[in-house]
Amino acid sequence: MTEREPRDPNDPVLPAVEEVREAELRGVEAGLGEVFEVPIGPIHPAMKEPIRLTFRVRGERIVGVEIRTGFAHRGIEFMGMRQGRNLIQVLYLSERICGICSVSHPIAFTQAVERAAGIEVPPRAQYIRVIISELERIHSHLLWAGVAAHELGFDTLLHLTWRVREKVLDILEELTGNRIDYAIPIFGGVRRDITPEQYPKVWEAIRYYRGLLEQLLDAFLRDPTVEARTRGVGVLEPKEAEELCAVGPTARASGLRKDVRQDRPYLAYPDFEVKAITPADYGLTPIGDVYDKIVVRLLEVGQSLDIIEKALMNMPEGEITSFPKIPALLAYLKKAEGEGLGWHEAPRGEVIHYVRLVSGDESLLVWKVKAPTYSNLLSWYPMFEDQEIADIPIIAACIDPCICCMDRVYVVRDGREETWTKEQLLKLSWEKTRRLRR
Amino acid sequence: MRAEQVLRALTASLGEKLRSYELRPLEVGVRQKRTVEEIWAEVAREAIPQAVAVLKGLGPLHISIISGHDAGETIELLYHLAVGFGTEGGEVMVTLRTFLPKSDPTVPSICGILPGAETTEREKIEFLGVDFPGIPRRDHVFLPDDLPVHPWRRDEPELEKFLHRMVEWEKGHDRKGTEGS
Repeated sequence: MTEREPRDPNDPVLPAVEEVREAELRGVEAGLGEVFEVPIGPIHPAMKEPIRLTFRVRGERIVGVEIRTGFAHRGIEFMGMRQGRNLIQVLYLSERICGICSVSHPIAFTQAVERAAGIEVPPRAQYIRVIISELERIHSHLLWAGVAAHELGFDTLLHLTWRVREKVLDILEELTGNRIDYAIPIFGGVRRDITPEQYPKVWEAIRYYRGLLEQLLDAFLRDPTVEARTRGVGVLEPKEAEELCAVGPTARASGLRKDVRQDRPYLAYPDFEVKAITPADYGLTPIGDVYDKIVVRLLEVGQSLDIIEKALMNMPEGEITSFPKIPALLAYLKKAEGEGLGWHEAPRGEVIHYVRLVSGDESLLVWKVKAPTYSNLLSWYPMFEDQEIADIPIIAACIDPCICCMDRVYVVRDGREETWTKEQLLKLSWEKTRRLRR
Repeated sequence: MRAEQVLRALTASLGEKLRSYELRPLEVGVRQKRTVEEIWAEVAREAIPQAVAVLKGLGPLHISIISGHDAGETIELLYHLAVGFGTEGGEVMVTLRTFLPKSDPTVPSICGILPGAETTEREKIEFLGVDFPGIPRRDHVFLPDDLPVHPWRRDEPELEKFLHRMVEWEKGHDRKGTEGS
């Protein structure tokens, strides 16, 4: 492990390409050794998704990196704007931007449309959106923790984390009917209520995670191997995080108290008084390395449990949507005119959607989507600086990248000899949902 | 931070270059009501860096995204910025709107003031054919380097042809990308 020198405050956070090349040449002249190029990706065993990272290395040390993405670009915004889809169809399209954040994009998108069209969301529906979002945060953070353990070569911890993650996926399936792509938000409310029979199951899941959280903190944060592999690795200094506009746990691990739920709250979030979590809340001085990113994400699992608990205890009664009939909703949206912004703190950070509606047209005139990885992409440059090749996988993973989400692309691969059909998988899913409800 | 404070700073610095503005309060919360404020302002294109510098002087500045739209004779850009994160309800969302004539679709880059804007400016180069003089890197981020079209432009004569070619290419290939029989 090599720790890079703290950045001179007068230096730019992103040095120009020419300056990097000149520094390389000076190094060669000073006898530090030649610089070689090591391309990784777009398809590489260390990467879960397609992205090309071209590293410039001197020996084992990284002196520069070039990032190229877009290998899985689906053109979802184009599909939403230019191919005559109505807003309900675009809502389901927005859900497919990201499987893991599959409630985050619809929450931001519905808010943007609701603000543009002047639609109110009933209080109960706002609470349900919050509960599903926080359940999603728990499953996403546990998913990431498992991936991080795997990248460190600690597969026992990967399996422990992913085993305990199953519980929250079961609860999401119980409440929404699906493990991902929940289709919960709809313009003016939510599609499904949380019924009295479902409350005990959610409470049981909260108790389950409360009991496990300390064990997870212990396994990740008090383990000498994890500490040795993550302390001082992939550092993002606070100034870099601020200037490069990093979001979510990537920014908070550097000590920035930056959380959309706190800074510009939305839906029912003011009721929960969310405070942005940094490593300081665990008694550490934030330095923005991979270890700090683990701290923030694990503490946020506990924070999400608090929010869900409070939401269940204070759930308002009443309607779950202001438009129970879809044709009436579509007719209203067709007449609506205006523009709006919707935002949400997804597990990886800020998601933002901009929409513009024109009266008489049932599709969108303008739609812009921003996923968190889009904002965190530039943070990789300082994080990789002066690091070792062996640390590339964990540094790449530490921002919890979602490349297809940023590219807005959906890739389905079939590499098995035995192929399950969609119908077979759907049947299995129905059987499991029935088992859960017994 | 309050939206009035942000507006005062923008009007004092930009003068007539701030062409119009609107303050939109949003009521949020169920049991604890809060007001979140948004500012939507139209700014002359040459004044965009100045406006961003003013906002940066007010507190920590974050750029969410630049939205873009082909508005016929012009290209409309919307800079969605957030000023003053770090305190509860203390962030103001500011959207700066500017119009670029299609004959000269350029606007000064803000990367010198806010390096985090680089990805979104590069995306607008690819998708809308906008140029940002002063941007440190201008190569493609998302689309193939040799793509001859800007997909969000509505006056792209080549776009339909390009999409047609793509569909035809996919029809002739199997899922592994090799040419079919």
